Formats: sequence, C-alpha cells, structure tokens
Amino acid sequence: MSEIQKKKPSVISDVRYACAVGATNTVVAIKGAVPIANCSPGCQLKTTAMLTFENGFQGSIAAGGGNMPSSNATENDVVFGGIKTLDNLIKSSLKIYDGDLFVVLTGCTGELIGDNVPDLVGKYQKAGYPIVYANTAGFKGNNLYGHEVVVDAIIDQFVGDYSGEKKKGLINLWFETPYYNQNWRGDYQELARILRGAGFDVNVLFGPENPGVEAWKRIPQAQFNLVVSPWVGVKNAEHLQKKYDQPFLHIPEIPVGEEATTKFIRQVVEYAGIDKKQSEEFIKQEASIYYYYLEHFSEFFAEYWYGMPSEFVVTADAAYALAYSKFLADQIGLIPKRVIITDNTPAKFRPAITEYFKNNISEGVSIDVDFEEDGYEVEKLIEGVEFTAGKPLILGTSWELTLANKKGALFFEISTPSSETLIVNRSHIGYKGALQFLERIYSASVGGK
Amino acid sequence: MGEIRQIAIYGKGGIGKSTTTQNLTAGLVEHGKKVMVVGCDPKADSTRLLLGGLAQKTVLDTIRDEGEDISLDRIMKEGFGGTRCVESGGPEPGVGCAGRGIITSINMLENLGAYTDDLDYVFYDVLGDVVCGGFAMPIREGKAKEIYIVASGEMMALYAANNIAKGIQRYAKTGGVRLGGIICNSRNVDRELDLLRAFAKELGTQLLYFVPRNNIVQRAEINKKTVIEYKPDSDQAQEYRNLAQAVIDNTSFVIPTPMTAERLEEILLEYGLMDNADDYRI
Repeated sequence: MSEIQKKKPSVISDVRYACAVGATNTVVAIKGAVPIANCSPGCQLKTTAMLTFENGFQGSIAAGGGNMPSSNATENDVVFGGIKTLDNLIKSSLKIYDGDLFVVLTGCTGELIGDNVPDLVGKYQKAGYPIVYANTAGFKGNNLYGHEVVVDAIIDQFVGDYSGEKKKGLINLWFETPYYNQNWRGDYQELARILRGAGFDVNVLFGPENPGVEAWKRIPQAQFNLVVSPWVGVKNAEHLQKKYDQPFLHIPEIPVGEEATTKFIRQVVEYAGIDKKQSEEFIKQEASIYYYYLEHFSEFFAEYWYGMPSEFVVTADAAYALAYSKFLADQIGLIPKRVIITDNTPAKFRPAITEYFKNNISEGVSIDVDFEEDGYEVEKLIEGVEFTAGKPLILGTSWELTLANKKGALFFEISTPSSETLIVNRSHIGYKGALQFLERIYSASVGGK
Repeated sequence: MGEIRQIAIYGKGGIGKSTTTQNLTAGLVEHGKKVMVVGCDPKADSTRLLLGGLAQKTVLDTIRDEGEDISLDRIMKEGFGGTRCVESGGPEPGVGCAGRGIITSINMLENLGAYTDDLDYVFYDVLGDVVCGGFAMPIREGKAKEIYIVASGEMMALYAANNIAKGIQRYAKTGGVRLGGIICNSRNVDRELDLLRAFAKELGTQLLYFVPRNNIVQRAEINKKTVIEYKPDSDQAQEYRNLAQAVIDNTSFVIPTPMTAERLEEILLEYGLMDNADDYRI
C-alpha cells in the first residue's frame, strides 16, 4: 500500500504576479511600441489589471491598458484555429496605430492548439512591417518569464544582426521589470541619472527616459550590458553576449542609499574601464547632498522613540526584497526577521540569492531567505515570526494588510498587488530614492497614532 | 421506452470502426431499433455507407459558415432505414483543435435537441485512439456509457485497444462509463480468435463478436452501402445481424484492467507466434 503523502497544493492562492502574457506591459514601456495581445479577453484584462491597476494604480499610456489591441480569442478560434482573427487584428492595428514596433504576444489558447503565428507575422515582416512575435503562453511561466521572452524576441526579430564597432562608455541598462516593479518609472530615472552622472552614455530601453525604438536599435553598439537585478534580464544578457559578442556585468543588488550607490558606481566604472575622475566628482557631490539630508534625519532618529520599528519582514520579488532588506539592515540597523521572495525565481539563481542574505546583507546580520509563491504559505511564514522589540515593520503586498493589522505592524506595500497605494513618480533607490524611502517608513512611524 | 443506449466505438485508425459501426447500425435497424450515428472524426466519413455517399455537411463546417444559430435539420440527415446521421467534422488539417471541435459539436447537438426520447441507440464513431481530452468527449460527462473497442489480431491494433482501455478506466471512476467488449474485425492473422479472447480476458472483458473477413464488405463500400443493404442475403450480412443481436443482448459492462506493455508482449508471444514453416508464403 502506498502511503498518503502530504503534498503542497498545486494551486496558488493570493497571486503576486501575472502570467507570461502580462509582458504586453513590457512593450507598453517602450515609446512607440504597440503590444498585440493574442489571447482571450480575460487574459489581456487580468494581466493588465494586475500589473498596472492593482499595483499602485500606475495607469498606462499610448497603446497600453484599455487601448491594447487584443484578439479576444473565443471557442471558434480554438476549434478552427485563431490565425484569421489574428491576421485581421494585425491589419487593424497597423491601420489604427502609428507604431514604430508591434509585438504579438500569444497566450495559452494559440500556443495550445499550435497556431502558426511565426508564419503569419513572418509575412508582415517580409512585407517590411516592424512587427515581431513572442510565445508567451501563461502555462509556461509568469510575467517575468514573459518579459524575458519579449526582450529576446525584439532583439532577434527587430534589432537584428550587427557587426559594427562597439562604443566605449555606452551601456544598455537592463533593470526592473516595467509595471511589475511598481516604482520602475522613478527607479529607471534615478539609475539612469546616476550612471550618466558617472560618465556613461546610458541606453534606456524602458520608461519615461526611453527615447523610443531607436534605443533598441542601438543595443548592439553598446560596450556592455548592465543587468541590475538578482535574475531578471540575465537570460537576455547571455543571449546578447552570444549574438553580438557583447559582455555583461551582472549586479544583483539594486543600490539603495549612499554607501550602496557609491559602491555600485565604482563597480560599474571599474568594469567599464572609463576615466574615474567624473564618477568620483559625481559621488562626492551626491554624497554631500545625501548626508546633508541624512544629518537632519538623524536628529529625529536619535530623539524619537515612540512606535519606531526595529525588526522587519519583507515579502516581494527578488529585486525589491534584496534591495530594501539590504538598506534597512545595513544602513538603518533594522533586523530582518523574515524575507520571502515571491517571484518564482528560477532554481539556478536561488543559491546565490540565499547566500547573499546569509552572508552579505550586513555585518553580523544573516537570514535564511524563503522562496514561496503561495499566499497561504506566505501568511503562515509571517504569522510564525515573533517580533521581540519595537513596532513590527512589514513590507509586502495588499495580501499582507490584514495580517499586518493583526500583528499591530507598520505596513506598506512595495510589491504586486498594491491596492492601498497610488504611485505617480516614486523611487526608493539610489541617492535620492533612499531618502524618500526613509520618509515613507518613518512617516508611518510618526503618523497614525 | 427505456433509456437511450449511448455507445462509443473506439479502435486503432484504419481498423474498420466506421464500417463496423454502420453495418452494426444497419443490423439494429433491421431489429426495429431507432439509431443515431455521430461521426467524431474530422474526415467525416462515419456515415457514408448509411447515407449513400458523403452527403453530409458537418456540424463544424456549418458553424463556421453560418454561425451557431442553426437548426437541427442543417446538420442531421436521414440515412438507411431511418437512421439519423451527423458528422462532427473538424478544422482544416493541421490547424485548430479537432478535440475541442468534438466537444463543440456534441454540445451543439444537445442544445438543438437531437437526443429525442424515441431513440434506442446513439453511436459515437471516434477517430483512432483516445489521444486527448477532446476525443474522450463522448465518454466524459456521462454521455456514452458503453464502449466497444474494434480490434484485430495485429499487434498495433491491440496496443491501441489497451491504450483506449486506459482512457476508459480513467473516466469509469467519475463518469460511469464501462467497457462492453472487444469486437474483432478479422484480418485473418494466425490464431486471431484465441489471441483476441486472451486479450479480452486480460482486459477483464469479453470478445463480444468475431466478424470474419469477407471481401463483400469492400464491394459494399465501393457501392456506398452497408453489407445489409448491398447483399441482404449474404453470409456477411448475417454476421452483422448477429453482431447487432450481441450488442442488444449484452449485459457485461466492466471497468477494464489495462495491462502493462510487457504483459501485452507476453500475450502476443504466446498466441501470435506459430511454429510453422509458412512465414514466407504470400
């Protein structure tokens, strides 16, 4: 007789990401690019709602959100194939949108029945239209997986071959996942500002400072690819290395605060081998401003003792979890009690991330990080935390709100979904963003009494 | 009037499911039964002998051309002896999902009220193997409760039959579907009857009927007729009448016990190999 084994449920409650077709929003983040969602109407709506609405109500732009072309596949498209519907949709999209790049993202329906989308899109490509296809079936992965698929698709089918020179000091910035990382717009601006200040020509591929698809055409000219993320984008950088013989520098930690950002700049400058004069000058200037503000803050920090946090819990994607935990532990002196990474980090990156939290987060601080996507398990993990001093601080998603209230914790949302926060332009990284991050935490401490 | 006996016929591609189903149907009609045949194969050739040719527009072609607002007489034609004939059809080869097409078709038939109380039998003539959920449609959700597998003494036919039994076993637990037996459509291979009996026994079922090989079947097919219509007095016509009687009288419905590939090979070795010297005879 076989024993009954207790197994983890195969369903995930309280989802913290969208499916691969949610990478339509990666396309929206490129100026002039138009996503074409080839999926059922629910897929398009839910992924967009999850990433742009219930995630700081970021809203969308141009062909994003409710303006997004979608094939709205139904039963007929399953039985007879959805190519005709998609063909009509592509035709209409090309007519209606004055786009510089069109990206067809095929979801589960088309992928399951084997619609020959590459063949259809290939006909438009041959006719000279700037259009690419990406296989983003939801059953293959989440929106982070989809993001990487879309990036590779644009590189292969739109950017194309290149055999010219590389330009020293030009770097492609591979960083947060647009919309999914809720502060991405502000964060891209801050990181681009920092890299420019250090003397780099920064090729910004997404967000407010992305000039459009021409940035993508410039990708092969860059000296190297800079990946600032624990894992998202590494696959793309590896692909670019093979395709254009272009090296990459992978820095898992998004820098938050003066120490981390200064270290970050020096690491990138060292790798690039550019003149250090400008970067050191920039660091000096930024550090001076940073500490001007921090000195003011320190007076509050030293004198105020009501409802201040000393221990924290983070539940977020790997990028934010790592960046914020590091800053709180290393710069503010808070103790991490539990860090839960919820983005389904691929297995090959987990040991390095685990090691980081164990030995690299701050001197004398070590924590075993948990990788968990299921809301029930996440809640159990947080519930089991015993806060021993000060007011608990929980950084997480809307799913943690009730539990945070139960624990009497300071709580704010840093990851998907976030329905108690509205984000227009915000950043918690680099020199400037770190100070905003402090404001946010300690406003919560002094407020609400 | 009793409950409609809904029967699905499965078996390896090319084994003679459609031929057997239609001849069996003709036999049942002679017994005074009211029968509907639903072809569940994109090739849409399950009702050719009953209709005297491919005279039928399929459900899916009709839906594709005219939308879903159609009447029953657009997709159902009357064939030999008052049989009702429907072809589910499918998408063009290589596109879409034929499995889902079958689900769509059967739902459409239900919505249009094709399953009337005066019917005694409904046959689903299903393409080949239970390759996916769509082709299992007739045995899901309590539609066909009775399955017959058409097989012969050839190895691949038995492999397919065993595989189909696995599909039946899966749905037997939830949907109440049962295996009524194996129908042998003989290929005149060595010790075919013994082999099929042993195979059926191992599956926990019976060899319901052994239909001998006879070229008259081929001739009837060329004439777009069932054998019963083409040569009512022939021996083969009587065989199909007997098969119909066996189906009418059948009371043995089981959850099959499919075997491992190794066990199947053993049975084949035991019955399929004959120690004689005529291997080279053509």
